[in-house]
Amino acid sequence: MSYVTELSKMVSSFHVPGSGDAGPSVPEFGFSPQIVLYPETVEEISQILSFASRSGIRIFPFAGGTKLFLGNPVDEVGAALSLRRLCRVLFHEPSDMVSTVQCGMEVREFQKAIECENQIFPVDPPLLNTGATVGGLVSSNLCGPMSTRYGTCRELILGVKAVRADGEIINVGGKVVKNVAGYDIPKLMVGSLGTLCVLAEATFRLYPRQHFSRTLVLGFDNHVSCSQAARAILAADIVPTCFEILDENLSSEFGTTTQGAKRTILLRFDSFEEAVVEQIKEVRETTLGETSAFVEMTDEISRDLWAAAREFPFLPGVSFSSKLTLPVTASVEALSDIESSPALSGVDALCLSRPARGVTLVSVSGEDEQAVSAACFLENLADSLGGRIMFSGIRRELREKVRAWGDFGDALSLMKNIKQRFDPRDILPGEKIFDADRG
Amino acid sequence: MMGSQAAKRTGRWKSRIASELVGILGAEAVISAEDELIAYESDGLTGYRVKPVFVVLPSSAEEVSRVVKLCNREKIPFVPRGAGTGLSGGALPNREGIVISLSRMNRILDVDIPNRVVVVEPGVVNISVTDAVSAEGFYYAPDPSSQIVCTIGGNVAENSGGVHCLKYGVTTNHVLGVEMVLPDGAVATFGGMTPENFGYDLLSLVVGSEGLLGIVTKVFLRIIKKPQVVRTLFASFERIEDAGASVSAIISSGVIPAGMEIMDNLSINAVESTVGAGYPRDAGAILLVELDGPGAEVNAQVPAVIGILRENGAVEIKLAADESERQLFWKGRKSAFAAMGKISPGYYVQDGVIPRSSLARVLGEIGDLGKQYGLRVANVFHAGDGNLHPLVLYDPEVEGESEKAEELSGEILRVCVDAGGSITGEHGVGFDKKRFLSLMFNEQEIDTMNLVRCAFDEEGLCNPGKVFPTPRTCVEPGMRKHGSEAPSPKEMGELF
Ligand SMILES: Cc1cc2nc3c(=O)[nH]c(=O)nc-3n(C[C@H](O)[C@H](O)[C@H](O)COP(=O)(O)OP(=O)(O)OC[C@H]3O[C@@H](n4cnc5c(N)ncnc54)[C@H](O)[C@@H]3O)c2cc1C
Repeated sequence: MSYVTELSKMVSSFHVPGSGDAGPSVPEFGFSPQIVLYPETVEEISQILSFASRSGIRIFPFAGGTKLFLGNPVDEVGAALSLRRLCRVLFHEPSDMVSTVQCGMEVREFQKAIECENQIFPVDPPLLNTGATVGGLVSSNLCGPMSTRYGTCRELILGVKAVRADGEIINVGGKVVKNVAGYDIPKLMVGSLGTLCVLAEATFRLYPRQHFSRTLVLGFDNHVSCSQAARAILAADIVPTCFEILDENLSSEFGTTTQGAKRTILLRFDSFEEAVVEQIKEVRETTLGETSAFVEMTDEISRDLWAAAREFPFLPGVSFSSKLTLPVTASVEALSDIESSPALSGVDALCLSRPARGVTLVSVSGEDEQAVSAACFLENLADSLGGRIMFSGIRRELREKVRAWGDFGDALSLMKNIKQRFDPRDILPGEKIFDADRG
Repeated sequence: MMGSQAAKRTGRWKSRIASELVGILGAEAVISAEDELIAYESDGLTGYRVKPVFVVLPSSAEEVSRVVKLCNREKIPFVPRGAGTGLSGGALPNREGIVISLSRMNRILDVDIPNRVVVVEPGVVNISVTDAVSAEGFYYAPDPSSQIVCTIGGNVAENSGGVHCLKYGVTTNHVLGVEMVLPDGAVATFGGMTPENFGYDLLSLVVGSEGLLGIVTKVFLRIIKKPQVVRTLFASFERIEDAGASVSAIISSGVIPAGMEIMDNLSINAVESTVGAGYPRDAGAILLVELDGPGAEVNAQVPAVIGILRENGAVEIKLAADESERQLFWKGRKSAFAAMGKISPGYYVQDGVIPRSSLARVLGEIGDLGKQYGLRVANVFHAGDGNLHPLVLYDPEVEGESEKAEELSGEILRVCVDAGGSITGEHGVGFDKKRFLSLMFNEQEIDTMNLVRCAFDEEGLCNPGKVFPTPRTCVEPGMRKHGSEAPSPKEMGELF
């Protein structure tokens, strides 16, 4: 019996591409699985992986299919495994502010489901409105502007139910906000891009919804005053939910009210009304003399602006997007380094920094050759500032020259060792993280 | 394997190793005299005692690495040790083993205020980090009650918490990077000055690894701004359930206090009999709520919280008027454990965690268990995150009572797990609770943890005999060894 037939018997629903059946729509994988499986239970996933590891069939787990452009391209696999049918909230205890959700559920749906209890799952990753799922969120560790206050899902994850490559089902971590029993395997899953286990369920800590929200848009004539203001904001007695710095091009791309300003700072505060008002006053005072524009917006009006910041840097049609993780101060200054670099003069670059997280995001569009030198410059910049870089959405023609990951440093050999122990036959495509030809 | 090695360990072997260690570290950094080794026989859990062969006091990562390489060559188990305040027997030595004490690696290497990072050696005492940045208006948030003695290396290994971790998180949320000597002696750095990283999150595995994945030799700590305003509320209740309900209601209302602590009637009376914090002796429970943050925010939160406390039946509510009154509120809580030592010749403390929503039910069950065993149980706990500290009181002079206390503590952990919680919130599994790990995890799950351990420590020389209920090899993932040697718990009474 062919493995396709064997696998198809393990699930109630599957699709064989090219078989003539319409089947549910699948994303552009860039490789051709022989079968797409739609398990409905964790046990079905376990059966699939157990068979796959015995037979050496490689399995590609996915759900929304929104983040296939992250990491290295995947070589051929035997089957794609969709988590889409595991899409329910399994547990939500409002007074504990903890919820367990199946990984195929869309993040947006999950957020709606818990909203009624006045609670929030405080992540705002890119692709939120185009089907990003909880499993994709955990395995990619993507995050958005709200990470300034709440961190990424690394800070929110408490436990996972996962299926190991050999088919064993494991429940690790827990359902309580404090727990040090055993190694923190849930956090190991965060950012592992599905290379270690298939995630079936995740348990998260939730937060209470805040009463009142206001956004500030600050414009600056030059980068010096913007840096000054950014440092003052970092040092002030305020707790912004979001804090972003945009360069001039991105600010006009977003259509902010500070168009023409060299730099724009976006801030959002969520708290009691009087506390928000007071913090806005504090920002006004600490940045006095630096700003060329100071605009306050209600939650309603600022919605599109935050959605744009959330989606950045994943814009359609770019040569690549990149994320630099830097020390806090370096991320404030990085915009100027990028702007003034001759290596980027031949391309269209858009930049955003999230100083409290030490993150700078850059998207680059241009001719291939110039895009490659821009990538080279950014990689060196991250290195010289004591940080690291990740490229994503790399245009096909550039993939030989622009690799998804920079240097993993000392961690690389241990990462490989962990992968080897979790999945000795490389059933879950390890090449997403490990370059075959880079030792 | 270890047994046959041990057989070869003659006096000649010992003096050869001693001279090699002296060659690496210098004579004053190698302890082998029987009377000097006594100080290293146990950690804060003094019921378990094992004398190591040597204790070494390295001064640099390089020295640590050379000692670890020697241990690998000779197949000697080694145990990292900080201040020895751990409460789970994590730093308990191995017979035939070496204790690597990090106490001499106690320098603050860099204070980088603009980047909000302090870089320290592992032997730096927790409070020294805050002391180093306090003048600049910053602090290091995780604040275990032992913070004036425990070390950052120990905190990283245990993923320690404190009374303020409800809002600010535990150690793992404040460590940006570590340099460590891996169990084979290689030196590696994970993370560093940047708040975010890529690749597998090895740092999160190291934090909370209880000294099993290597020896941390440098730590990059995140520091945060001191809050502009701190306000502390005291409330007393007739019934502990109402104190518990207040905690849930406060958080649900959108307020996340820096800390919320509950003490039951037995603890209140123990404290009143010793330090006299002014708590009402007839209260069923007291609740402390500390709010901090920007002034306007805290000022808006205070009346909201007072309203909630009232709605939930608080008998008396007081807002600390000044710092000295705030200190008085905290005095009782901070001396609670010591007070137990005064009202009972021995006590046994656990740190199980439960979901907040099951607080009333679990406390009821703990009370019933206490009656069943004929022992008193006092409850002092981090209420916001459901981290209980049930203190089982007993008399070590009474035949069989310490065993009973230990058994009761185990039953309490079982109740915590049945309620959907954990056997440990901050003290770690260590030696003491490894037999309870299987209450939470099945064999496959524990084997999965072993995969991580094996990736770091194929030989199993780094702090063996801890965390895992039965020793596991790395030959075939999941294979178990049998017949581990266990020191018998003699006097289970806590001496701290
Ligand atoms: C009175 C009292 C109050 C306490 N209050 C709290 C509290 O509020 N919250 C809390 O979380 N804990 C508390 N504890 C427990 C204890 O203080 C913490 O677990 C602390 O982190 C231990 O630090 P230490 O330096 O004493 O480590 P040790 O006890 O020496 O070691 C603890 C573990 O860390 C490992 N270790 C030590 N250094 C290193 C290193 N450099 N690299 C790798 N591994 C290492 C050891 O092998 C061991 O497994 C309390 C203890 C006492 C006695």
